[in-house]
Amino acid sequence: MDLKKIIVDASEDRIEDFRSKNQSQIETFILDLWKEYQQNSDPVEIDQGPVIDLADDGDDRQCGEYQPNDPENPDEPGSPDEINVNETEMQKQGASERPPYDAIDLQIKSRHIALPNGKVNQNYDIHFDIEKIIPEISGIRFEGLDQAGLQFVPETKKITGIPQAAGDYKIKMYCRRHDWEEGKPTIEREITLIINPDPRSLWVDLPTPEDIEYYKPDCNREFIKVEASETVARKDMVAASKRGRSHAHEGKPRDDDFMLHFDDGSGWYVMAVADGAGSARYSREGSRIACRTAVDTCITEIKNRGETFEKQIRTFSNVRSEENRKQAGDTLYHIIGTAAFKSHKDIEKEAVDKGNPIKDYATTLILSICKKFDFGWFVGAFWVGDGGIGIYAKEPPFLKVLGEADGGEFAGQTRFLTMTEIVQPMELYRRLRFDIVDDFTALILMTDGVTDPKFETDANLNRIEKWHDFWNNLSQEVDFSDDHENSAEQLLKWLDFWSPGNHDDRTIAILF
Amino acid sequence: MRRLPVYLVLDTSGSMTGEPIEAVKNGVQVLVSSLRQDPYALETAFLSVITFNSAAKQIVPLTELSMFQMPDIQASGTTSLGDALSLLSQKMDTEVTKTTAEQKGDWKPLVFIMTDGEPTDNWQKGLTEFQKRKFGMVVACAAGQGANTGILKQITEVVVQLDTADSATIKAFFKWVSASVSTGSQKIEASGKEVSGLNELPPPPPEVNIVV
Repeated sequence: MDLKKIIVDASEDRIEDFRSKNQSQIETFILDLWKEYQQNSDPVEIDQGPVIDLADDGDDRQCGEYQPNDPENPDEPGSPDEINVNETEMQKQGASERPPYDAIDLQIKSRHIALPNGKVNQNYDIHFDIEKIIPEISGIRFEGLDQAGLQFVPETKKITGIPQAAGDYKIKMYCRRHDWEEGKPTIEREITLIINPDPRSLWVDLPTPEDIEYYKPDCNREFIKVEASETVARKDMVAASKRGRSHAHEGKPRDDDFMLHFDDGSGWYVMAVADGAGSARYSREGSRIACRTAVDTCITEIKNRGETFEKQIRTFSNVRSEENRKQAGDTLYHIIGTAAFKSHKDIEKEAVDKGNPIKDYATTLILSICKKFDFGWFVGAFWVGDGGIGIYAKEPPFLKVLGEADGGEFAGQTRFLTMTEIVQPMELYRRLRFDIVDDFTALILMTDGVTDPKFETDANLNRIEKWHDFWNNLSQEVDFSDDHENSAEQLLKWLDFWSPGNHDDRTIAILF
Repeated sequence: MRRLPVYLVLDTSGSMTGEPIEAVKNGVQVLVSSLRQDPYALETAFLSVITFNSAAKQIVPLTELSMFQMPDIQASGTTSLGDALSLLSQKMDTEVTKTTAEQKGDWKPLVFIMTDGEPTDNWQKGLTEFQKRKFGMVVACAAGQGANTGILKQITEVVVQLDTADSATIKAFFKWVSASVSTGSQKIEASGKEVSGLNELPPPPPEVNIVV
């Protein structure tokens, strides 16, 4: 078998595999090479090379040239009677300057020894027991680990610590053969240790220049307190919106928006969230107009049609027939459908006025109107684009997602309010949902900056277990007790949750 | 989390011996260390290395960028490009997560193929397997004049050529690859879409010529 060729050809794995199966042959081979080298080299070199330093205590066993008398165990130095003792002068000169060219040394030098990469500020804790793999060595120590903020504990064979700075550290590992004695050379091996930066530290937060067209603050939050009426607690509304890390990194504006309104006279709640398309130039204005016009239109339409609408809702609540459903649905269409349509028109008008294509203002829209009746809560909704809206009750568990996300699964299929086909009557109607429920923990509207990291897929958005987790997570950081105004600030803070790969603008509006 | 898989498919045949293979090793190191400074890439990019000579071998499975370590590579043997394409296809099936109702799958993989010679195996067979899968952007690089750009053109529309396979040129190529991966990971962030054409990548440096 042509060992030379195999070794040159082999990849790391194959070498390992091959080595473990053919250890003795390899070592014989190395020793043969060594002999060959000896024969062809300068005689002085020969003497110096293999000489292991003699300690002055007179133990002649320490000095010798390799005599592979035992092919099964060629690492062991030959027995004293076979050692050619050199001149003492020679020993002192050549001595420890050269490491012994033996199989162990070669093995350690050629072996793929790697330390797993670490991360700044993250605990590094690995078990490093090379003696288990190469039993012939011991006395492992490192040089340079401290620069990386790490240390090696020989007793536990662990490398531990918390790296403070990113970089590629050149670490030196020293070890010795078991038969090492004072004055003999140690084996040295360089290992590269990579410490990655904390990705969070790489993100910068550049404020959006205030002189850009359609400037919008980088975050926003609002709490609408609806005080108890006749000692009965009433639900409040809270919303927050925060610019995503990727926008902050480049000093780009927030494209999301929201708007909340409570009509004290009629008792109607109106909520909207919108997500301006990342690729659209003025989508921040698109989302702003969408929310504002949609909410304003709902308020106006509720004033005009509220009385009729509430009667229809009551009738439907009494008898949940298709006919009654249709009548309430038709009026809902006149309120929310009109709101969506007018939003589209207002965006279009802005685009035309500024001489821009409407798609520059592309935005999604999720809109909801709700009211508490003596028979329960009416919740109506319109949804175009991604994100999500759901009525959630923790106990007894209840979930109703008010519509379907558009696309998202396949890139480029997301729909926008700004598309002409979306504001066709049938299409608007198709996107309406309403329901009457006894009560709920929260009605939540959110953009995909929240749903993507928290729900991941549309299927998960329909799973109540996911909502339980979501609500638990949310209520750990936000105090949703009645009239708690600080919840807006807490909600904004919560929006900063870390999720690798998810850096979109995040907006959430909650009725609770 | 949706990962952005990046496959580096590298020719390690005998003709790459010496300067070219050293430059490739360096190139991968440069690529990884610069991507580690990019927050987009650091969070989304996963890297795999497939080498091919007399046979293809995946020497690094798809690995999170921060955990990536470049093993040693040596040049020898022939140029089994077809085998590399077959292996790449196989790895795409096993390593890249598909989108299901419960889970958003990975982004479509970015593939960079680099070769300096003519394939010596049945490359059409590998190409057929490769074409059955939906990869994202695939860039083929002909390193030096010995590579057959005609064959590479059948693998992908995006073929670039290096005039010489010296270390400066190879390094320039890998820098461009690194910038392209950065762009790719930013684009999916900003628009939810993978890069789909050469015009969406950063302009290649003067050493890297686009083959029309």
